[in-house]
Amino acid sequence: MRFDDLREKLLLGGVAPRHVRRYLRELSEHLDDLTAQQRVAGYDGEDAAIRARARLGSDDELAAAMLAQKQFRSWAARAPWLVFLILPPVTAVAIGMLFIGSLGLAGKYFGFLGTHAPSSPPWFQLLAADLVAACNLTAVPLSAILFVAIAARQRLKLVWPLIASLLLLVLVVQSKADFAAHGKSHLSLGLGLALLPQAWARIRENWFQVGAQYVVIILPVSWLWRRRLAKA
Amino acid sequence: MTETSSFMSGLPELAILRLLQEQEMYGYEIVQAVAARTGAVVSPGEGVIYPLLHGLEKSGALKSRRKTVGGRSRVYYTLTAKGGRRLGALSSRWSELNGAVEALMAGGALAVR
Repeated sequence: MRFDDLREKLLLGGVAPRHVRRYLRELSEHLDDLTAQQRVAGYDGEDAAIRARARLGSDDELAAAMLAQKQFRSWAARAPWLVFLILPPVTAVAIGMLFIGSLGLAGKYFGFLGTHAPSSPPWFQLLAADLVAACNLTAVPLSAILFVAIAARQRLKLVWPLIASLLLLVLVVQSKADFAAHGKSHLSLGLGLALLPQAWARIRENWFQVGAQYVVIILPVSWLWRRRLAKA
Repeated sequence: MTETSSFMSGLPELAILRLLQEQEMYGYEIVQAVAARTGAVVSPGEGVIYPLLHGLEKSGALKSRRKTVGGRSRVYYTLTAKGGRRLGALSSRWSELNGAVEALMAGGALAVR
């Protein structure tokens, strides 16, 4: 594919993928114009293509011009500590809120949750139990996948997604749905540290779920590590 | 451009803004027009013009839109009001510099302000 080496140089230099995409697209269109110009000048086939490519500039020149524009660097390249240390727990909670929030909204809409709410019907309790389990199982692993994908896409050092994954490993996102008669039902979402004694009982209780979570957190970063090894 | 010294820095930007003041153009067109207007004395590197265009757009000096003309889709750039003001400022600086260099080459002296 055209400009593969240039793409790698730019991504490794920290340029945001969307700016890389736009630059390469315009370069490609420019190259088409230059090639057409060379053909009009009497050069044909590969000769025209080589002359056009030389006029466009070397990969080093083209990369240097873009890298000099600091405003096109991605957030992950500018402040990786922010993206890979602060955002993973925030993202995990945000994903959890999507599950629990939608359940809460549905509960309020049907009148199953709230101070004066009647007892929830069995179908809603079943739905809530499933959504809570899905939230507990997927909120943290989905965050890990997201941050590994960011690192892979932007060619960032492996240490950053590794830090994000390790951070997510020590976090426990736990949501809960308790149903009781006459307005006592409630939903909760919490974030805790797996290292704290209070969390151990919960981990022991849900060891299968937690174990599955840990495996799914580790898998993306190990995939990236193997991919990098293969490329090296 | 043929010279890459800091002396010439700012010139491609001035050339781009000046050309876009007249009409909207796409990258290839801009490079050809600059070379043609300056007798190829100023000829921006063909590909390296895009980071400059994108930077000017980000700073609000230019606007861009994708347009299909004659079956070819390209990004066309136009000057904004902010770009017009920037062109004015750059033109004044270059005129001053031009006057200074001319005076220097003629052997005269500029009045010290």
